[in-house]
Amino acid sequence: MNEAFFDKKDYKSLDRVDGRLKVTGAARYSAEYQLSGLVYAVLVESKIAKGTIKSIDSKAAERAPGVLAVISHVNAIKVPGYQTSNQHPSEPPVNGQPLRAFYDNNVYYNGQPVAVVVASTLEKAQYGASLVKIQYEKEQHKTDFDANMESAVLPAQAKKNPKSPVADYSRGDKNAFANAPVKIDAEYVLPTEVHNPMELQAITAHWEAEDKLTVYDKVQGTQPTQKQFAKEWNLPPENVKVIATFVGGAFGNGLHNWPHETAAIIAAKQVKKPVKLVLTREQMFTMVGYRPYTWQKIQMGATKDGKLVAINHESVGQTSSYEEFTESTLQQTRMMYASPNINTRYRILKLDVSTPIWMRGPGEATGAFALESAMDEMAFSLNIDPIEFRLMNYTDSDPDKQLPWSTKYLKECYDAGKEKIGWEKRKMQPGSVRSGEWLVGYGMGTGTFGANRGVAAVRAELDAEGNLLMQCAITDIGPGTGTAMVQIASNTTGIATDKITFQLGNSQFPKAGNQGGSSTVNSVGPAVQAACNALKEQLKTMIASNGGSQAAFASAKTDDILFVNGQIQIAGSDSAKVDIGTLFKQNNIRKIETTQESKPDENRNKYSMYAFSMHFAEVHVHSLTGQIRVKKVVCCADAGTIISPKTAANQMIGGATGGIGMALMESAIIDHRFGRYVTKDFAEYHVPVHADVPHVEVFFVNKPDTLADPVGSKGLGEIAIIGVAPAIANAIFNATGKRIRELPITPDKLI
Amino acid sequence: MIQFQYVRTSTPKAAVDAVSKAQNARFIAGGTNLVDLMKRDIMKPEKLVDINNIPLKGIEQQGNKIVIGALALNSQVADNKLVQEKLPLLSQSLNAGASAQIRNMATVGGNMMQRTRCNYFYDTAMPCNKREPGSGCGALEGFNRMHAIFGTSEKCIAVHPSDMCIALVALDATVVTTGPKGERRIPFSEFHRLPGDNPEKDNNLMENELITAVEIPDNAFTRNVHYLKIRDRASYAFAVVSVAAALHIENNTIKDARLAMGGVSHKPWRLTGAEKALIGKPASEETFRNAANIAMEGAKTFKYNAFKLKLGPNTIVQALKNAAEPV
Amino acid sequence: MGDNHNPDQPENESFAESRRNFLKNSSLLTAIAVTPGVVAKAAENDLGEKIASAFEKVPLKMEINGVKQQLSVEPRVTLLDLLREQLNLTGTKKGCDYGQCGACTVHVNGQRVLSCLSLAVMHEGQKITTIEGLAKGDQLHPMQEAFIKHDGFQCGYCTPGQIMSAIACIREGHAENEADIREFMSGNICRCGAYPNIVDAITEVKNNGQKL
Repeated sequence: MNEAFFDKKDYKSLDRVDGRLKVTGAARYSAEYQLSGLVYAVLVESKIAKGTIKSIDSKAAERAPGVLAVISHVNAIKVPGYQTSNQHPSEPPVNGQPLRAFYDNNVYYNGQPVAVVVASTLEKAQYGASLVKIQYEKEQHKTDFDANMESAVLPAQAKKNPKSPVADYSRGDKNAFANAPVKIDAEYVLPTEVHNPMELQAITAHWEAEDKLTVYDKVQGTQPTQKQFAKEWNLPPENVKVIATFVGGAFGNGLHNWPHETAAIIAAKQVKKPVKLVLTREQMFTMVGYRPYTWQKIQMGATKDGKLVAINHESVGQTSSYEEFTESTLQQTRMMYASPNINTRYRILKLDVSTPIWMRGPGEATGAFALESAMDEMAFSLNIDPIEFRLMNYTDSDPDKQLPWSTKYLKECYDAGKEKIGWEKRKMQPGSVRSGEWLVGYGMGTGTFGANRGVAAVRAELDAEGNLLMQCAITDIGPGTGTAMVQIASNTTGIATDKITFQLGNSQFPKAGNQGGSSTVNSVGPAVQAACNALKEQLKTMIASNGGSQAAFASAKTDDILFVNGQIQIAGSDSAKVDIGTLFKQNNIRKIETTQESKPDENRNKYSMYAFSMHFAEVHVHSLTGQIRVKKVVCCADAGTIISPKTAANQMIGGATGGIGMALMESAIIDHRFGRYVTKDFAEYHVPVHADVPHVEVFFVNKPDTLADPVGSKGLGEIAIIGVAPAIANAIFNATGKRIRELPITPDKLI
Repeated sequence: MIQFQYVRTSTPKAAVDAVSKAQNARFIAGGTNLVDLMKRDIMKPEKLVDINNIPLKGIEQQGNKIVIGALALNSQVADNKLVQEKLPLLSQSLNAGASAQIRNMATVGGNMMQRTRCNYFYDTAMPCNKREPGSGCGALEGFNRMHAIFGTSEKCIAVHPSDMCIALVALDATVVTTGPKGERRIPFSEFHRLPGDNPEKDNNLMENELITAVEIPDNAFTRNVHYLKIRDRASYAFAVVSVAAALHIENNTIKDARLAMGGVSHKPWRLTGAEKALIGKPASEETFRNAANIAMEGAKTFKYNAFKLKLGPNTIVQALKNAAEPV
Repeated sequence: MGDNHNPDQPENESFAESRRNFLKNSSLLTAIAVTPGVVAKAAENDLGEKIASAFEKVPLKMEINGVKQQLSVEPRVTLLDLLREQLNLTGTKKGCDYGQCGACTVHVNGQRVLSCLSLAVMHEGQKITTIEGLAKGDQLHPMQEAFIKHDGFQCGYCTPGQIMSAIACIREGHAENEADIREFMSGNICRCGAYPNIVDAITEVKNNGQKL
């Protein structure tokens, strides 16, 4: 059993391939390209939450030294894609439209970009922006979620399509909860959380010709961004180049293109110079999305001996007035446990705020806080160990899709995690375990996320020295995509990892979507494999044509053709050893190359594919002051094949850290009198620091899921955080007897 | 940030002269708060007088007091042997504040001059009487979880953000200044002020006056001290509530005590009534609880900070317990 | 720049000041007299700005990564923006610009400080070390090696600040145990959450006992 698991410390694994660039400061992020003639742009934001702009006084700013332009709806050049219809071209009409930069005088939320000042230096642009004076016609705004929750609506996509994942769902007996012997009925609130990657959102926009745009942009997808800007500017996609070689974290906020990007592109066009625009930390709260404020209600029913008989799960999530944002908060409730009767109901509430965007472990992390807290509450009412309770309701096939799982090893996760956290020290009765003045609690939570896979293509090129170069348009926002791809290529070809290069983050490379939804290794990995195999096919044919002792290659399986110590051989045989330099010389070529595309197959219709995770937390709470210290976290992931153990473990640690933030400190608060955030920098919006994060022990079920994709990977980024917050909340209950259903859990809630 | 004039000076007199010559001029030392405020257009001095070259970095025993130069860095003071030995409460409070980097920049004088971290003060789109007299107090009816419960006014309920100052007010420090009218000594408890009708004034410094040193009289609080800071994460955050506790215990009887709180008022909040309730009593939880209850007399809470009525005294009790039995 | 005034020389100061006051008083006097306070103030600032940019760049000498630099900067330029925008030393990162994240940590005369809260002109004659100045040719600094080995980062954006801070943390004697490291590294935020790996890297370098 234990062989399926490994500890990151015992495992030899590739160092991050871009590590050297990152530790020397040589890695270039979007605001770090020193283009000739570069000028600086600084945004001016609205200071009201709703209304119209009456007038903009930009005279003082225009007169200020070094200021080249003050651009607003008054004088912005028309973005062709904005004009085609009232609907934004890239969005289905029913879902509203993304905010259009400087399109008209409407103000939809407080902090909306309403003008941009361009100047020769950053300081001059900042000063210029401070001089722009705006007069508004104010209208009554709505930003208070609680006060307006009654106005929540069914998302338009669900109205249109009853099969939409956000439509109402029911299975079994709709009224089963009413008759359940044991009941839990509780409401949960998750405040607005903000991605807040360390790198501020930045774009350097450069019109290289009247119809040729290059952007160095902090995004999670180079080609989706290329497509978006090509539409906006009515250009052929090949005329738009998007570079995102290094992305300083994103966690979802680079999955959408935002008005500040178009603002920079407009500015670059108007001043006819490359323009750099970097958001301020405050602007990161209002201009690039967030995890939406969400209310949830769970009604859970069980028999006295611990069988779930009903779950009703409702959710209302916040969105903007102009764009419908939805996420799958309720999906896991339909598939995680073997309850015969389930109802879910998802609504959105339109407020005068900016549009949310998926944030790590998107809706699932929100939903898991409620579901896994409720599971803990139910287990406690039944006086059953929470792990036992989950095992009693374990399901060996997907009760939602009614398909077998491609793979599921959650039981193995529970077993190993339990041992590692020291679960036997946990007492059912809260407040039973103490360490001096500190109350000690243990808690757990489960996570799951779809093992997504998309289309991706990789170009591979092998030279006479045996160097392998690969290219793909995918980005790497931090998980270590390049490292994993180099590992896959090395595993597939036998070429040493230091002879392999994986280039990414450029829209001109072969096809890739966004880095998001834990789908990168599952999508790009198979394309790497396919490209490597195609190269091996070429080698095989070339070698076999030499005849003689090398003729055996003709009948060898492609999988068996490998580089061993730099020479091409048929693995597991005493075949001839072929030197690639000699081979290429014989064939009078300098290199071979191929581009291969890989896409999801029909297994997706036959199996239900999910990755799973399990998080345990030991938490200490001070009995007098309510101070909370997470003392230990243990995370297990059933994520299929683990390609790159070191970077994978790091992702799990990062998810645990994010979960600590979610559980204990993160909350962006609006003063509804002004409709304006009052916690909008790192002094007010707390994210975990070193002192908040203990040792995190990470384990993997390293079993391939080749039904999901040929690499066998199920994805890791989301399940790393999903289930962490409830594990901590449950541990706090176990320590104190206090069940906190509104995050974050701060000391004042525990005294 | 507006453009401004910048000059360097190397004596207190030259600094005072330079700042007196211009309207709206400020001294700058570490800059950790002033530069931040200037970036956000909250403060717009037209002239900065850099005082870092003035030799005011010393930390030394002078007779029966320890004198710390106004330009001594927070990290230098925290790590100083003399301070650690004779003023451990001060060292603890300094290490509870900000981050190692900021403590390497921030000076003792600058720490005292820190302005409030009130969300409304920090946002020029919001009303704030401290930033813009007459514009109203955004926090009074707003998000006031971090705000004051003692000494508030209708005009302002902001809190003073320093940790160091909580220890200094407890330790009966004196602030030494020099200004156009010569040298002054100000008792620490009278240095900062309550907001009253003029929240724009954080302290009682006169115009163009420069802090040159802080003096702390010798005391018996070398062992039984504790600075306890409750914050929303484990480090690098401003206090929700903090307590500086110093006890002089002999035969389990409290011979003398000093107690002050942070995160509760516009100035470092000395708890003299509670101190009196400690003196002469056994060092027990009952004594501590009694003192803590006295400490909270007169507290007035707002919509989001009522919890301080419970967290405050609990933190006092715990700080006193930790002081009585240092780890 | 010929109009540079030297902030160390009071006579230049008074010269600059008199020019400034003269311009301010003469050209705006009438306007100020007839406009409400707020408008006057804005106009005043605007004028001050124009004058300032005309002659308030000041000379600045510093040594950055062992290279002596003779610069001319506006006093309002932070050390961070000077490094990133004028000297192309983009290894030092801007994560918040308010002293709340540590991404901009550099060494000034060997001490770790935040370059975002520091005006460049305040570092006359001082030695600045940035992440670009750590490696000796191809030979990485031991802390850089340890960060790679322990995977002390993901996106890499906070990494230069973490590394600069980590080296100073050991030098200061604040890396005696893991709890100390966590406390004294808390000024460096890593949103990817690689903290435990960073602590491992620092512990290893500390235990190796090399002089840093």
